Amino acid sequence: MSTPDSRRAAIRRTLKQRSGGAPGAAAVAEATIGTWLQVAERLAPVIGLQGVNVLFNRALHLTSTAFPWLTTAGERGDSAVQLAGIKARLADHEPEAAAEASYTLLVTFTELLGTLIGEPLTGRLLDPVWEFPPAEPVKEATS
Amino acid sequence: MSDKVTISRLATGVPGLDQVLGGGLPEFSFNLIMGPPGSGKTTLAHQIMFALATPKRPALFFSVFGEPPLKMLRYQQQFTFFDLGKVNESIRYVNLSEDVATGNYDQVLARITQEIESSSPALVFIDSFRSAILETWHQSKGTVRLQQFIQQLGLLLSGWQATTFLVGEYLSASDPSPVFTVADGLLLLDQKIYRNSMVRQMQVLKMRGQATRPGMHTFRITAAGIDVFPAAVVLDSLDPGAASGSPRGEVRLSMGVPRLDEMLGGGLPSGYSLLVAGPSGSGKTILATAFLSEGVRRGEPGIIVAFEQTPSQSWVHTLDDMVRSGKIGLINTRTLDLSMDEIVQQLIKLIQKMKATRVVIDSLSGFELAVAPAFREDFRESLFRMITVLSGLGVTVLLTSELEDRYIDLRFSPYGSAFLTDAIIVQRYIEVESRLKRVIAVVKVRASAHSTEIRQFEINADGIVIGDPVLDYEGILGGRPTRTPVSGTVKRGEP
Repeated sequence: MSTPDSRRAAIRRTLKQRSGGAPGAAAVAEATIGTWLQVAERLAPVIGLQGVNVLFNRALHLTSTAFPWLTTAGERGDSAVQLAGIKARLADHEPEAAAEASYTLLVTFTELLGTLIGEPLTGRLLDPVWEFPPAEPVKEATS
Repeated sequence: MSDKVTISRLATGVPGLDQVLGGGLPEFSFNLIMGPPGSGKTTLAHQIMFALATPKRPALFFSVFGEPPLKMLRYQQQFTFFDLGKVNESIRYVNLSEDVATGNYDQVLARITQEIESSSPALVFIDSFRSAILETWHQSKGTVRLQQFIQQLGLLLSGWQATTFLVGEYLSASDPSPVFTVADGLLLLDQKIYRNSMVRQMQVLKMRGQATRPGMHTFRITAAGIDVFPAAVVLDSLDPGAASGSPRGEVRLSMGVPRLDEMLGGGLPSGYSLLVAGPSGSGKTILATAFLSEGVRRGEPGIIVAFEQTPSQSWVHTLDDMVRSGKIGLINTRTLDLSMDEIVQQLIKLIQKMKATRVVIDSLSGFELAVAPAFREDFRESLFRMITVLSGLGVTVLLTSELEDRYIDLRFSPYGSAFLTDAIIVQRYIEVESRLKRVIAVVKVRASAHSTEIRQFEINADGIVIGDPVLDYEGILGGRPTRTPVSGTVKRGEP
């Protein structure tokens, strides 16, 4: 079971591995959205898509204090549009800044989830995402 | 021999619930858990789920509408039964709110079918369906479709060899809900607010194939989850005297007060209930304490259910010492939302644990205060049930009852409970030579000869000292005795 510290390290590792050795900003953006979609895929069956979106928007809001460029008003409501926007903006930045923003967003999200449903349950639901290569989705895992 | 199908029953893991259900939950049954918001439906569902789900018997929990799953997970984790290790191992949560939001019930059904097919759960929970019903009405006034939906759901679920639960908000009995007919089990949860107390109750309206415990059963929700207190019922099969090892009334118990045994005709018959009635300060608790200490001395463990503040007096120390050394069990409660059944359950557990044969309830007046106002109307009935259950267990019960000292009428208890008990001792104050004196009399001992004398008694450091019969006075029960012309004064007896 992961701790918040070990999870932070795992998130960084996952993003790094997914975006390749010496990534450009586009690869970072790709890795971020890919990882996020896995998180969402694991969570949505449990807390509902709406629940996931609510938490994501809160995490995005918190992250934007450090990375104001990550959000744009007007994208809220449609998660596909929102994700495309985030992806584009990440790709537009320096790779290091993009990687840091991406890491902060995912960490903020998991920690937010942790405050609501507890660290252990958060770990139980999301840890497989941080295992590389990515674990099978939940559905197949229990059938 | 029999070729009939046997239904195996699942232990729900909710204390007391299996008894209420009549031996557990029938496997593959289709059950409804209903009740108003806050009545504990989701908690009950979770508690059952966490108790029953294993990797071999996986559970699927569909959340439909109502409580957001985030909040549900957050709050359900507060209960000790919530075992994180089971989440995503033997318990899987599936959120259906998006499917329900479409208003297309075929899609919801298809989704449920697909989920059930893919994981073959042994337990299915759907929380909650009232919201789904409302949704349908708003969307298309399609009650017929909803009936079909629920009937199909019922069929689907029974076909999958799963034990299933539909959790829903309260539907009135006049609501022609098709679910009522389809369901094998109907569990109704409720919370009653009366004055400033709140009481939770549960009722099994239906449970196919087994005899459930009728009536309303109170329950509490604590950190450990739901705890049900099945309404006490008198079981004919209970072997009277099973606990004491001798038939009721055959053995006489010593009261621990010199001369009182002889007044009772040789002690209190075992398994009897004795009411000690008297005004405040007349020595009821002291008598009860003597009864328990005598039991301890003779190796007969006892239990005291105390509802009153205990002043620090010598005999109370005796009681405290006995409780502390574990010779006497203590049930001490100051809550004001108690149900009689809760006390009875605690008492039965303790009696069985301690193998107790003597029980004191001190006092009925305190008990009545501790019982939630909603139950006070039924106090007498509950008292009757309690006494019968205890007597069925073979224990001898001493109940004290505060009696307002009225000299215009002779009453033994304010609850009309006097007839419920097998024996009655009454204590009173009388005025003799401008002093308050105490007198004691045995009013009845069922099926036994007993003394009819009114005796004077005193309370000293050793307890109760019973004196001689008050022979030369009359009108004692009127509180103002007059000396009969014969002779002498009121004498203290030689011990």
